[in-house]
Amino acid sequence: MKQKIRLGLLFLLLSIVCSVQAQRTTALRINEVLVINEDNFVDDYGKRFPWIEIYNSSPGTVNIAGCFLTNDINKPKMYMVPKGDVLTRIRPRQHALFWADKMPTRGTFHVNFSLNPEEPNFIALFDSDGITLIDSVTVPAGQQTDISYGLIEDGWDQKRLNEELRLNANYKDKHGDRLWIYWEKVTPSSNNKILDTNEKIENFKENDSVGAGMTMTAMGVVFAGLIILYLIFKSIGNIAVNLSHRRVMKASGVTKEQAKDITGQSGDIYAAIAMAIYEATELHDEENTILTIKNTARNYSPWSSKIYTLREAPKR
Amino acid sequence: MDFISFLGDNLATFWTYTAFANITVGHGIMLLVGLTFIYLAIAKEFEPMLLIPIGFGILIGNIPFKDAGLQLGIYEEGSVLNILYQGVTSGWYPPLIFLGIGAMTDFSALISNPKLMLIGAAAQFGIFGAYVLALAIGFEPNQAGAIGIIGGADGPTAIFLSSKLAPNLMGAIAISAYSYMALVPVIQPPIMRLLTSKKERVIRMKPPRVVSQTEKILFPIFGLLLTCFLVPSGLPLLGMLFFGNLLKESGVTRRLAETARGPLIDTITILLGITVGASTQATQFLTWDSIKIFGLGALSFIIATTAGILFVKLFNLFLKKDNQINPLIGNSGVSAVPDSARISQSVGLEYDPSNYLLMHAMGPNVAGVIGSAVAAGILLGFLG
Repeated sequence: MKQKIRLGLLFLLLSIVCSVQAQRTTALRINEVLVINEDNFVDDYGKRFPWIEIYNSSPGTVNIAGCFLTNDINKPKMYMVPKGDVLTRIRPRQHALFWADKMPTRGTFHVNFSLNPEEPNFIALFDSDGITLIDSVTVPAGQQTDISYGLIEDGWDQKRLNEELRLNANYKDKHGDRLWIYWEKVTPSSNNKILDTNEKIENFKENDSVGAGMTMTAMGVVFAGLIILYLIFKSIGNIAVNLSHRRVMKASGVTKEQAKDITGQSGDIYAAIAMAIYEATELHDEENTILTIKNTARNYSPWSSKIYTLREAPKR
Repeated sequence: MDFISFLGDNLATFWTYTAFANITVGHGIMLLVGLTFIYLAIAKEFEPMLLIPIGFGILIGNIPFKDAGLQLGIYEEGSVLNILYQGVTSGWYPPLIFLGIGAMTDFSALISNPKLMLIGAAAQFGIFGAYVLALAIGFEPNQAGAIGIIGGADGPTAIFLSSKLAPNLMGAIAISAYSYMALVPVIQPPIMRLLTSKKERVIRMKPPRVVSQTEKILFPIFGLLLTCFLVPSGLPLLGMLFFGNLLKESGVTRRLAETARGPLIDTITILLGITVGASTQATQFLTWDSIKIFGLGALSFIIATTAGILFVKLFNLFLKKDNQINPLIGNSGVSAVPDSARISQSVGLEYDPSNYLLMHAMGPNVAGVIGSAVAAGILLGFLG
């Protein structure tokens, strides 16, 4: 029975680990697409083609090898990112750029389809099973030359944008409310939005230059945390005291009031009583002590001492 | 003759490599600071476990040398000191120190009298007082947050937060935090005497009740869940603190607890101390900002001590007479474990030789550790 439970737990643990592994590719996002590349980024062969940028939105490295890129929802396994190439490992919050040049023989990052500027381009990223859709986008027709179509912030999805719009009243005025926008400042293999200031710090400088807001908020949180902890441990303490009363009542057959007297004593009193008993009864302590100026023989050395070896039973 | 001039040239070149040829006034000043730290640690026994490694680290970091790509300095990538310093810059030494602190801290005093936690919260005003002052003298909010944490009187927390918010100020902040922690016996007693009356100083507090093992086990679990649900950014420090404490209190992981509070914390303390000390190279460290940080650090300790004591006095207004708190334990809300609690004890004994405040002072003292880690988490969340 125990073995079955252990096996069950092991299986549960393994499935959690596997699901965590599988989840990691779900952090990949199609981040930016350039359909008409005339005077923009060139590939390793010095040629200009449309490109698709993939972003790893997770805090860990994700290997995109084995995943599929396609421009046809009915053919999810159109281009498999080859395995065995170290460059397919995308570092945290970093990018990988795929060339839509229909020339996969040119390397790992050259897919076997191209993008058509005349019509909308559907692009999708499927997981290694070829079934699970990780991310997709439809780039509208009529793209302008050397202007990319990308996410408003690297790796964002609609949920994240909605959250920002809900929490930050000024966001819509500053950045609009669309997830995908056109970028004149094209950023292949780098962040779509280039940050030249720390927004948090700037907000504090603007709205709380004296620091009073921070002080009040932070002290409020510190007090709140410790007050809740205080309340919890006050309750736990009361329960513990009541339990110890009950135990004393049960063991000694005394009344509740007498039990309170017994358990209400502090540790110091018990320590003092213990010390007094020790002093009164342990009188033989000094009997074996011999004070002498003669040399005393030692029949052991550190080499043979059990204290200094590993023969002691290990402590738990 | 050629041979002699050849040797002479080599000796002249060698001379340019020596510290004598490269020393500046700044290096001289920092060497004196290092020697002072070592003196204070040995002669006055001010926090020797910290001041000896830091003081010696300052000596190591301020031996000048010619920058010839020899990978000697702490700021040279790949040098031995630089590799050891990564524990500071990446912020993984402080959580390991917290693991050890958790494994050696007995929270019984706090559990038996949980209202003492609030004193630990009040003392965190030192952090935010220094934050306000730092803003007032022109520091950026993130720098002000990193400087303010000096008032938490917690070296590992100060290093952790400054490495995230203001890495360029980390050396000055760490040195300032550790210096003032060592100087707690000098800074706190005058404030304690100034803010309390003779009558208040002899208040006798109820002895703490005996705390059951179950309560001790529940404390780190509830402590972690509550504080980290509230401030997840405090997770590295608070997680390790409470984990260490559970190792201690569970009773079934004695070896792990002994390692955490013994060899592990000792090793990390050595590495942290020596590298923080060595990071104070005069060229990087001797700036006006460092001087300002030292001034703000002193003020933050004063504010924290004052806030702790005044809070106890205020609290006493709402407590029954037989349940009053001696305001002399208010200073121990400044974490600096266990020094500030010892100060409560020694100042208390001056006025009543049979009034032992140490066990009571340990409550706010360890609450201060939790409070400063929570405060650091808030600052990191807001400004990081």
